[in-house]
Amino acid sequence: MLWVALHLPLLSLESFAATLAGRATEHGIALIDEHCIAAADAVAIAHGVKPGLKRATALALAPRIVLGQADAARDAEAMRSIVHAALAFTPSVSLQPATEPGSAADIVLLEVQSCLRYFGGSERLLERVRASIEPIGHSLRIASAATAQGAAILAHLEPSPLCTTLEATRCALVAAPVWLLGPGRAHWEALQGMGLRRIGDLLGLPRAGLARRFGETLLAELDAAFGRRADPREPIVPARAFESRLELFARADSSEQVLHGASILLARLVAWLAAQHAFVQRFRLLMHHETRWQQGDRTPRATALEIALAEPSRDSAHLLVLLRERLAHVQLPAPTLELALQAADIVKRAAPNGELFPTRQSEDEGLVRLIERLQARLGVGGVQRLCAAEDHRPERASALRSDAVARPSRSPRTSERAATADAASLPSALSCPRPIWLQQPEPLAEREARPLLDGRALALLSGPERIESGWWDDDVAERDYFIAEASDGALVWIYRARLPLSSSGESGWFLHGRFG
Amino acid sequence: MDAAIIPAAAFAPPPSLPAAAKRQRLDAAVVRRTPETLHPALWLGHQLGRTGAQTVASGFARLDAELPDGGWPRGALSELLLAHPGIGEMRLLAPALVATQREGRLVMLFDPPAALAAAALAALGFAIDELLVVETRNDSVWALEQALKSGHVGAIVAWLPQRLRAERLRRLQLAAHRHDGVAFVLRESAAAARPTAAPLRVALHAGGADRVQLHILKRRGPPLASPLELELPSVLSAAARRRSANGSAKARRLPAATFIDVA
Repeated sequence: MLWVALHLPLLSLESFAATLAGRATEHGIALIDEHCIAAADAVAIAHGVKPGLKRATALALAPRIVLGQADAARDAEAMRSIVHAALAFTPSVSLQPATEPGSAADIVLLEVQSCLRYFGGSERLLERVRASIEPIGHSLRIASAATAQGAAILAHLEPSPLCTTLEATRCALVAAPVWLLGPGRAHWEALQGMGLRRIGDLLGLPRAGLARRFGETLLAELDAAFGRRADPREPIVPARAFESRLELFARADSSEQVLHGASILLARLVAWLAAQHAFVQRFRLLMHHETRWQQGDRTPRATALEIALAEPSRDSAHLLVLLRERLAHVQLPAPTLELALQAADIVKRAAPNGELFPTRQSEDEGLVRLIERLQARLGVGGVQRLCAAEDHRPERASALRSDAVARPSRSPRTSERAATADAASLPSALSCPRPIWLQQPEPLAEREARPLLDGRALALLSGPERIESGWWDDDVAERDYFIAEASDGALVWIYRARLPLSSSGESGWFLHGRFG
Repeated sequence: MDAAIIPAAAFAPPPSLPAAAKRQRLDAAVVRRTPETLHPALWLGHQLGRTGAQTVASGFARLDAELPDGGWPRGALSELLLAHPGIGEMRLLAPALVATQREGRLVMLFDPPAALAAAALAALGFAIDELLVVETRNDSVWALEQALKSGHVGAIVAWLPQRLRAERLRRLQLAAHRHDGVAFVLRESAAAARPTAAPLRVALHAGGADRVQLHILKRRGPPLASPLELELPSVLSAAARRRSANGSAKARRLPAATFIDVA
């Protein structure tokens, strides 16, 4: 059994930093616990702020520092995304229970013996684990050992040892300081007074005496760490539907701040999807607004933005682009305090193979993404296909439709269809030629029984073609169509209306289209 | 003797030539080494440009002879200037676009100026259900850039808004480098007065029924001195063409039936 422990030493600080949503943090961040600094980031430490200082001292050293409080629920949310990222590598992932009550667990344990061969060795596996957790943005310490408890203890050391056998684990543990054991921290003064600083020192002592003095739990932990006692861990099963919340530190007034928070939630969604080997088809972003801005019951408490994808995807950059384009069109009624991302509609599929050269399939996928991006910005009606309808009236014979756009239809019959269309349509093209450009019928003036376009007489070349149709709905068309040549040489399609005219000023000639 | 041993006589220099023959050989050598014969991508200022890039045949042999590399350029913008839509531009572009569709690539039209008639496009050879029409309200440059940069679109025909700024067109031309098909941008005739970033610029005028006149204003090579007249696929019958050709002197055109109001 090979256990890998992922320790996040700065979990609370980083999950607090995530809520800042991109605000300027060049003056440092620190966490406060009962007026004392509990944790500080590198910039704050450079200013001289250390854990243990009083709040007033810290503010005197770095006046522009941002202070916040640790929140166990927020930390647990952040840990969940790490767990999901780890689930992509092995199904046996569990959380090491927290040593202090009230703080969130910050060690994730993975049992990787069964999948070492698939990933090509432990070094490659650890590299891949590091690479997959990097987008989530937490600093990580990785240690490996032959026992779960041993790995959890060794993960606190800097630099973290990577032991693959039980002997190596025992050697590393023997040299580890004793306060890494849970009860060891509680009884630290007593142990120090007795001169027991390393775990190895405890091994030589009588077990009954240790149990009486420091409790059974110390012995149990020691045995589990050294592999003398079974230590079964319950693996974590990911939830069926994804739901994650992020409470922002300060209200978000601009869409950029909302997007920054949304990108963190999207990284968590992608980790959850990777754990399930699935792709998302639809997800929803809820923006909860400040209640102070509510005027009566008209202002909604939350704005929901639903994004549906034509092709299931797991690419966080693409999802963020779609979200950005949709958010640009939404008018938020009030500043946002909290973001929530929900996704229940997923599709389980094998990941597509990466391809070196463009193929038909990768081109189709690329086109689907392009159409999605265009539709996200221009609206669903922005991208349309042309459909021919069976109607003699020219303005109804073709229509633009946007619902059939999603997939570029690529049938192998295209070339045959085109060949037959060529052969069959040429005679019909001559018998009833249609112009490419159709416009709203524009009335033309008349002089000496000849229609005028832009003041010049049109010369009728071909016609008449009589179209009488549409008696079944209100749009009756009784027209004689002619092809005419304008003064500059362009061909236009005009018609003479055969119905009685509504107003007496009109001549009955209309311009309907141009031959492009 | 061993066949592998080559006799030394084979390496002897050729016997010396008379002086005239030597001079002729020298002249021939000089002619062989002018720039355009050194490499296919080199050309002199008075010749038509050659980049060795692939082009799409325009479907009109006389036009292909005047275009650098023998066709519409791939991966660059081709600018067409028209006074108004409907002078035969779609019939001019149809062979290249239909060839792109036959290869199985997508053709996209951006902001066509009027409604399209499906029957007319089908008559020109287009596959109607594999054509995408994009209606960009104010974001035409953004949408074109996305389509050009994606590199998956086969051919793009775009009607640009009036008075487009030069740097926007330059951005589109840079984006077109990632596109591997033809890209046509159609603009108003007044744009001819301003410089363009597109490597090919053609002004179109109607030259009579079913004829179009092309003035190639900018191309890689010398500008075309006289306009090119091309015959487009005809929509008129033979009789109508004769009627059109019979000059404007006579008032012979088809008399329309006088409208008798029987109401």
